[in-house]
Amino acid sequence: MLRLPKFSVLHPSSVAEAMQQMEDSQGQGRFLAGGTDLHPNMKHRLLEPKQLIALAGIEELHGISFADDGSCRIGAMTSLHEVATHPRLQSSYPALCQAAGLVSGPQLRHMGTLGGNVMLDTRCQWYNQSYFWRQALGFCMKKDGSKCHVVEGGSKCVAAASNDTAPALMTLQAELEWAQANGQSRMPIANLWQADGIWNKKVAPKELLVAIHLPAPSAHHFGAYGKLRDRGSIDFPLFGLAVTLDCNTDKTILSAGLCAVALQARPWPLKKAEALLVGTRLGDESFLAAVEQVAALASKQCRPMPNIPGDHEYRQAMVPVYTRHTLFAAAENRGPVHLL
Amino acid sequence: MRVFHLQVNGDTVEVAAPEHWTLLEVLRYKLGLTGSKQGCDKGDCGACTVLLDGTPTLACLCLAASAEGKAITTIEGLLPAHRAQGGKGADPLQDAFDRSGALQCGFCQPGMILSAKALLNQNPNPSLQEIRQALAGNLCRCTGYTQIFEAIQAAAKEMQN
Amino acid sequence: MAARDQHGVDAPWDQGFRVVGKENRKVDGLAKATGEAIYTDDIQLPGMLHAKMLRSPHAHARVLSVNTSKAEALSGVMAILVGAELPIRYGVIPWTPDEHALAVDKVRFIGDEVAAVAAVDEDTALEALNLIEVEYEVLPAILEPEQALTTPEPAIHEDRKRQDNISKHVELAFGDVDQQAQDADIVVEEDYCFHSTTHTAIEPHCAVAQANSDGRLTLWSSTQITHYVHRALARVLELDPARIRVIQPCLGGGFGGKSDPFSLEFVVAKLALKTGRPVKMLWTREEVFYAHRGRHAMQMHYRTSAKKDGTITGVDAKILIDGGSYSSFGLVTTYYSGQLLTGPYTFPSYRFDSTRVFTNKPPCGPKRGHGSVQPRFAFEVQLDEIAHRLRIDPIEIRRKNFVGEHTHTVNGQRITSNGFLQCLDAVEEATDWKNCYGKMPFGQGLGVAGSMYISGTNYPVYPNKMPQAGVQLKLDRSGLVTVFTGGNDIGQGSNSMVAYLVAEELGLLPQHIRVVAADTDLCPVDLGAYSSRVTFMVGNAAIDGARKLRKQLVSAVAEHWQVDAKDVRFIEGTVVDLSDASRSMSHVEAFHLAEEMFDTLGSTGAYNTPTLGGDYRGGTIGASPAYSFTAHAAEVEVHTETGRIEVKKIWVAHDCGRALNPIIVRGQMEGSTYMGAAEVVLENHFLNRFGLHAGPSLLDYRIPTSMDVPEIEAHIVESIDPEGPFGAKEAGEGPLHSAIPAIANAVFDAVGIRLRHLPFSPAKVLAALHAQKELV
Repeated sequence: MLRLPKFSVLHPSSVAEAMQQMEDSQGQGRFLAGGTDLHPNMKHRLLEPKQLIALAGIEELHGISFADDGSCRIGAMTSLHEVATHPRLQSSYPALCQAAGLVSGPQLRHMGTLGGNVMLDTRCQWYNQSYFWRQALGFCMKKDGSKCHVVEGGSKCVAAASNDTAPALMTLQAELEWAQANGQSRMPIANLWQADGIWNKKVAPKELLVAIHLPAPSAHHFGAYGKLRDRGSIDFPLFGLAVTLDCNTDKTILSAGLCAVALQARPWPLKKAEALLVGTRLGDESFLAAVEQVAALASKQCRPMPNIPGDHEYRQAMVPVYTRHTLFAAAENRGPVHLL
Repeated sequence: MRVFHLQVNGDTVEVAAPEHWTLLEVLRYKLGLTGSKQGCDKGDCGACTVLLDGTPTLACLCLAASAEGKAITTIEGLLPAHRAQGGKGADPLQDAFDRSGALQCGFCQPGMILSAKALLNQNPNPSLQEIRQALAGNLCRCTGYTQIFEAIQAAAKEMQN
Repeated sequence: MAARDQHGVDAPWDQGFRVVGKENRKVDGLAKATGEAIYTDDIQLPGMLHAKMLRSPHAHARVLSVNTSKAEALSGVMAILVGAELPIRYGVIPWTPDEHALAVDKVRFIGDEVAAVAAVDEDTALEALNLIEVEYEVLPAILEPEQALTTPEPAIHEDRKRQDNISKHVELAFGDVDQQAQDADIVVEEDYCFHSTTHTAIEPHCAVAQANSDGRLTLWSSTQITHYVHRALARVLELDPARIRVIQPCLGGGFGGKSDPFSLEFVVAKLALKTGRPVKMLWTREEVFYAHRGRHAMQMHYRTSAKKDGTITGVDAKILIDGGSYSSFGLVTTYYSGQLLTGPYTFPSYRFDSTRVFTNKPPCGPKRGHGSVQPRFAFEVQLDEIAHRLRIDPIEIRRKNFVGEHTHTVNGQRITSNGFLQCLDAVEEATDWKNCYGKMPFGQGLGVAGSMYISGTNYPVYPNKMPQAGVQLKLDRSGLVTVFTGGNDIGQGSNSMVAYLVAEELGLLPQHIRVVAADTDLCPVDLGAYSSRVTFMVGNAAIDGARKLRKQLVSAVAEHWQVDAKDVRFIEGTVVDLSDASRSMSHVEAFHLAEEMFDTLGSTGAYNTPTLGGDYRGGTIGASPAYSFTAHAAEVEVHTETGRIEVKKIWVAHDCGRALNPIIVRGQMEGSTYMGAAEVVLENHFLNRFGLHAGPSLLDYRIPTSMDVPEIEAHIVESIDPEGPFGAKEAGEGPLHSAIPAIANAVFDAVGIRLRHLPFSPAKVLAALHAQKELV
């Protein structure tokens, strides 16, 4: 059996205790959420923390709650299954629930957490392999080596953000609540990412994601998630796109959010595309025309690379297709989009 | 080494194992509960599925330490639980899998049956699509799934009567 | 005497079948459903050590030195093994022994085994692997078959008579195929490609060995071929085979992926002998991908000639087979690529020229439908092309060229029963073919294809005149019948078949029968689970053995009742007197009477094939005592926006002779069909530019999930074969073949594009659709 490296595990019962344990681990610690990404990566010797700090027993990291103003707090340890199937979340934030519901398979959605999905390591066909495999390759710059096998001569790691929920949270303008060594902080999720596949976040792994905050949805909010993958289950995205549309009563779009994933190191917001949609009305000619423009623009802005498995040219060809379908699905409340 | 306090199929057990062992290793190699299978090493195939507090969980990605305090149900637990409730023979799902030809090599089936068990506990009368979705994390290479779907439909029917 | 001479196909007690043909439970179903069943990795022995393999990171290299001193010094390491300690070569085909358990001189693919460590636990063994120092001289790697063909140097195997990279070449011709092409009304000539795919049994390979103090060695292994492993172990370990016992525990799927002797079997045995402790080795999923033995990639050129009315007059094939790094069954694969195409259609001329080459990739071998799935794809697509050009219905052209029953093929294979026409009828009716084919909206289509496959072969891998299958039966005073068989139940249900057949023959029920299988100390030899032979051959042997006991049982009861033997009837465990309805006894009493009369009760049964095959070199390869026949129809929707081929439904009609248990037959048909369909649209055993498997995991090698399988409708056709056990033929491999071309042909019906290169990835479909648009 592929084996986990040796480590010890701590089971803190509060955030403060967990932070102290991380501090005490002297750089050898790693937070353990659902383990569905961390453990395979440890088995592949991509990470070999000596100290795991299991978060499951920390009450305040769990649960979904709504404030009087309609805003929502989702504890980072809330399972993807809970997020995907929560009735009020489904009506308030359809793109998020659809994305969570398309992560991997049923067991991993029960085990995996929303916080864990946000913090998912980037993925690459030259990286997510066993130590033996990577050794035979001569390793890569993300781990144990210096070369990039995706971009010959490349100097920056382009392993792909592969977390389905990240683009949804981006379009929903989620805020992330962190426990840090020196207290709490909050940041818009858009500020989390950096264009470096080795570690695509601006926050260090020793900091603890406590909760995800979502602003109250507008009265006429629409959303959908589209996911390209080979099979009807299990697979990571080959391309993912989240769409949110906030409208006035006559369905005129007041603001739009589009964000893609499984391209490069960070989730990829399509800002210009968003602007093309504003002012059009769902179902109108104006909307149809805007969808075509957005699809064309997305094709230019989304450039799949041969980083994750699958034919990147095919993934490129699917960008406008998924963009179109996901926009229509959002407008008609019939996501997710997963074309077989 | 560490002593794990586990609740397995209703029994409280204390078992010493290396701290980095998964629940699957402890079940199989320390407790002799070899019904939970290992097929892929890392959470892709579902053969190691057990129920933790009734929820399908991959024992190969779950540390033994993380399973403490939870009710663990393995495939070995179903028949005794069925008997304890006055049932005869095996659990109706196990029986239906046998009758329906759903067991060819049988290697994926403990995990498959437990995923199905969790489904029927939540949803006693699932549609074919709901069955497909509930099994979407359990790979089978023998059957093409068809007789597994039939087995679950048969068991659901029987359990409702 | 061949058992076939003794059996009929009718119910043995002239009261109809009581067990055969019924939906009986499997003998091991509940054990598997409850977790009781013991698979190899479930075995734990006191003091057992765990072994791990050191593997080559190079695709092709000379091993200059292996230094194990640092690893030996690691606490917890009990033994280390290198190639020099197991210098004898082996290979499943005795003519081509080109494998070493651990590299002696060279490594030939990334993942080839170099050394092994046994330690107190896997963690320690892994740590020790990192301390072994291997010095390699890296050689240029050959990754493409064309390159192997044109590049004799460096030879991947240097110590053969041939100094090139050709593993096997076969050229056979029957009739004048060139003349027929000249005379034909239509000739279609195209290239076809089949990619490599792999078995992906969910159970990874595992072996456990125990060496007893008296010099006996026991090996438990996840193998489909206990007998061949037994022979190979004796040869490589230089041990008396009488001191070796090989046992196959429950097997978690094989599909041909466990039908070679594998390095781990020799390694754990040698390590157990060295250390005096039991040793287990369990491969990771990645290691299983390196063990491979999967479907050979083939590049195929076919030229088919026909008359205007659709009569095929000649088939000419040239095939390049990518064998990977070792021979495995390659000699047979090369023959099968040509020999198994000569039904269910007849053609007066046929030629094939097949070349299997070595490349520095994991070795290919027999995957379900060994060697014949690829040519079947090419030919059935080509036949569809001919039908289309001649404007003949694709089902009609298949009927027209039907080879017939009780006949011979152009290459000299004897066909007995043949239900192919009924298979065609079944899918024609079930699909409402006449109203749907060619009449569905653009994007949707139906396709059909046919095939045939062997029920075992009369070619034992080592030449001998002993039976291919043997059984022993023991009757107990409790009323239990124990059947000992060397046959390997790999999930296909062969042990259940044995129980049904013996129960039928003795007038008992399956629960009166216990089957002990695949243990070389206890069971008579059977050659193993490959070539779809077990039910046919072990089944015949089981009937043979049971019939002998039946005579004794009947005569003991007749004597006791003082009636004629024909008046004694065993019905589901009760013995009745046909001449006196008031008189009966249990079968247990009958056993006692028989034991009083004949002493301890037991019998043997055997089966051997009749003399078969064409009278030419290789003529017996592919010669089977009975062939199964299949027709598939597939309905697809081609999504023109995404290029996805959605296989909506597949109808499979299969002539299995007689369905000994329709549920199990259907399970084999559906499982085969789904596996074939997945080879078209999902699976690809792909080696990247470094010779590394692109994704050796169940995440990246995409087998279908429950969300991805089409609806499958199975139609069993029973032709009642004169030589099968109560008329049965194979059902486990045939029903894979034509699923693949049926889908390809349905794509043509749906969108008018002719795809000839598998797999049909969405990108390929989109490209073909675009090309089609440009043409218009």
